Amino acid sequence: MRCGLVCLLAVLGLFGCDALLFRTPIYPSYLEPDSSTGQFELILRREQTAQTLNGDNLVATLGNSRFAYAPRLSNEITFRTGYAFRHAGVAGSDVRTWYYMLRDLDPAASRYRAIVFGLDDFDDEDGLFDPNDDMRSLHYVIARLRWSDAWDFARSFDSRRLQFEALRGALLKGFVYQADFRAFLSDPRKRIDYVQLCRRGYESWTYDYVETNNSLAGLEVDWSAWTAKYPPGTDQDQRDTIRNFLMRKPAPQIGRIANYRRLWFGRILDRYRGSRTRIIFIRLPRGPLPRPDDAARKASGSVLEFAARPNVLLCDEHAFDSLEHPELFRDALHLNRDGIARFSPMLAEKIRSMLGPSTQR
Amino acid sequence: MLFNTTTFFIFLAVVLVLFYSSPRPWRKYILLVASYYFYASWNPKFIALLLTLTVIDYTAGMWLEKVSAARARKAVLILSLTANLGFLGFFKYYNFLGRNLALLLGRPENAFFLDIVLPLGISFHTFQSISYVVDVYRGQQKAVRNPIDYALFICFFPQLVAGPIVRARHFFHDLLDWHSPSTDDVSRGLMLMTLGLTKKMAFADQFARIANDYFGHVAANPGMLTAWSGVFAFGLQIYFDFSGYTDMAIGMALLLGFHFPVNFRRPYLASSITDFWRRWHISLSTWLRDYLYIPLGGNRGGRWRTYRNLMLTMLLGGLWHGASWNFVIWGGYQGALLSVERVFRGDRPVGEGRPWLYPLKAIVTFALALVGWVFFRSANLTESLAVLRQMFAGAPGHILLEPWHWGLAGVSLVVALGEEHSEWLERLTKAPVLAYASGLAVMFFFLEMFGAFDVAIPFIYFQF
Repeated sequence: MRCGLVCLLAVLGLFGCDALLFRTPIYPSYLEPDSSTGQFELILRREQTAQTLNGDNLVATLGNSRFAYAPRLSNEITFRTGYAFRHAGVAGSDVRTWYYMLRDLDPAASRYRAIVFGLDDFDDEDGLFDPNDDMRSLHYVIARLRWSDAWDFARSFDSRRLQFEALRGALLKGFVYQADFRAFLSDPRKRIDYVQLCRRGYESWTYDYVETNNSLAGLEVDWSAWTAKYPPGTDQDQRDTIRNFLMRKPAPQIGRIANYRRLWFGRILDRYRGSRTRIIFIRLPRGPLPRPDDAARKASGSVLEFAARPNVLLCDEHAFDSLEHPELFRDALHLNRDGIARFSPMLAEKIRSMLGPSTQR
Repeated sequence: MLFNTTTFFIFLAVVLVLFYSSPRPWRKYILLVASYYFYASWNPKFIALLLTLTVIDYTAGMWLEKVSAARARKAVLILSLTANLGFLGFFKYYNFLGRNLALLLGRPENAFFLDIVLPLGISFHTFQSISYVVDVYRGQQKAVRNPIDYALFICFFPQLVAGPIVRARHFFHDLLDWHSPSTDDVSRGLMLMTLGLTKKMAFADQFARIANDYFGHVAANPGMLTAWSGVFAFGLQIYFDFSGYTDMAIGMALLLGFHFPVNFRRPYLASSITDFWRRWHISLSTWLRDYLYIPLGGNRGGRWRTYRNLMLTMLLGGLWHGASWNFVIWGGYQGALLSVERVFRGDRPVGEGRPWLYPLKAIVTFALALVGWVFFRSANLTESLAVLRQMFAGAPGHILLEPWHWGLAGVSLVVALGEEHSEWLERLTKAPVLAYASGLAVMFFFLEMFGAFDVAIPFIYFQF
């Protein structure tokens, strides 16, 4: 009896310590800014601050690093579009993490005029990688997870091992913060100083960020033989992205991405059902050279299904095809400075045309 | 099935439920089956070896009690020892001897090589078997009639693979007169299980990363501070790893109603090497004392005989750990230190002296222990010498430990000093519920924040 009580209290004590440190702002405020969680939290806080500084003509964009545009350039034509653009995208993230980002960024589901999701493709193309089992999600959203999310979040993983890890992490966040916490203990002063520096500078660093002007000009791909001719001076990273992304071999199409998108975009759309916020999907410039459309037999287009919902808008798939040139990409995935300079105003104009004139109060 | 895995905890939970929900006469059968299952989960083939040794020593025990003629008794003892040491020698030392013989004969190093897998825990259960047969021979232990009881003594899963080496009289006292564990026992058991798991996962495995990095790339890590910090990391790893395992073994035995002897008593607080060996792997050092050092004559034959006996005991103790010259040298080093210490100490009892000198003595003893660990951990003699060269004559180098590692070491030192003076961990188990639960919660939290969950580092002593 005594031992049972001791065990119970000890477990409660563990949850209490964990909650005190990691479910209050005490520790999450001092996460390593360059970590996945730290980046996610910095972006979330930056956008929460931006909400207070802007009116009700805000448009939030969400995506991974492929959604490379400069809100600063889009906002240079706000006088014409009437909308202020903010980017809440996180490199390496996906729709599961965007769901948790939006839930805390826009708790009442009404703050934005539109939320724009940038996707590689409206069709659902499965890759070799199972998005359900992307463990990075846990690290991105750990500070956002609530007790009530634990079971549901863990079940969104396919593998039993990852389900266990996710459940453990969602219940006891210390398991996920371990490495960060130990690094913090190694030099708390340095961490605190760096966090404070990031808090002061992050808005301007990111808003005024200027992308490199490297390009893939001269890249040629023979799609009949799936071979590439690299331009002189192409570095290893660029070659890797060309090989692994642009020229990836089609994987068996088993509907994994479709299910994943239906689940997580479905949840986002459900949150915004009846809201004034429009949900917009755009297809990002696919790459320096478009892959052949028939490279993979895509069985579905879940985004097209979402278009049937009242507050969902689909941007013309080919709206940004004109940017798919090697000279506008720094590697096979990302637009370069020139590409961003063209894409940003194009995006703003396109969104304005879809939303109609701003009714800024 | 490592003690620090979910699989093992599920296994333990099932065993505990089956054990306590079964009628009392069935319980030892449950433990026996569970123990064989536990052993078979590593390598089922060696169950046969375990059974063979069990049958031999059980029979030897029975014969020793039946036979009264001194010669016959001695013959039975020799037969049993030959079988035990024969198996141990073949599995553990054959290739070592073969390699050295080949070198002596000028043959290729692998001329006599056999692909032998070392059965898990053979060194431990062999010593346990030997102690039983010798005790029966000496008349200090009655032969066990029930083969199930004897089989359980040999294969009891909490201590089967890495000790502590339990004496027959302790084990059978608990088994034959089994009582449900008291509340104190369960409290202590839970505390020890948690403490052991924390020691292993939050301390040993974290220091293991540094030690493995260092000893895996000695040539690439030159420098005096580098070498000392790598060896320091190993020194902490091996202590937390082995004592963590032992704590868990003692803890789970308590939950099952068995009492194992203490195996570690804060060895790095020792004030001399003699003191160190009274605190480190106590079940082995007392075994070596009772079955080797004393039969060799102990300290009864004069000074030089004492030194000889110390050296022989420690050399064999070193060799017990593993079949390599490094372990022999490690044993010899320990024997030499014990002998030198005895020269200076004379007949004065250990620990006597000026109290204000204690910190210095403890630091020197710790440093000497660290030097010994170089031979223990290095892959071969050449590597050991390279590490020692760096430790004593290297360029400054850099410290491999990060500040939080020092934090861990500091916490463990504070806990050990507190425990040394007031045995507060023991008292905590008897403290009010809230205090005890808080202690456990702190350990759980430590485990959560510092436990190495992303790697599975086996217990060091499993290889012996």
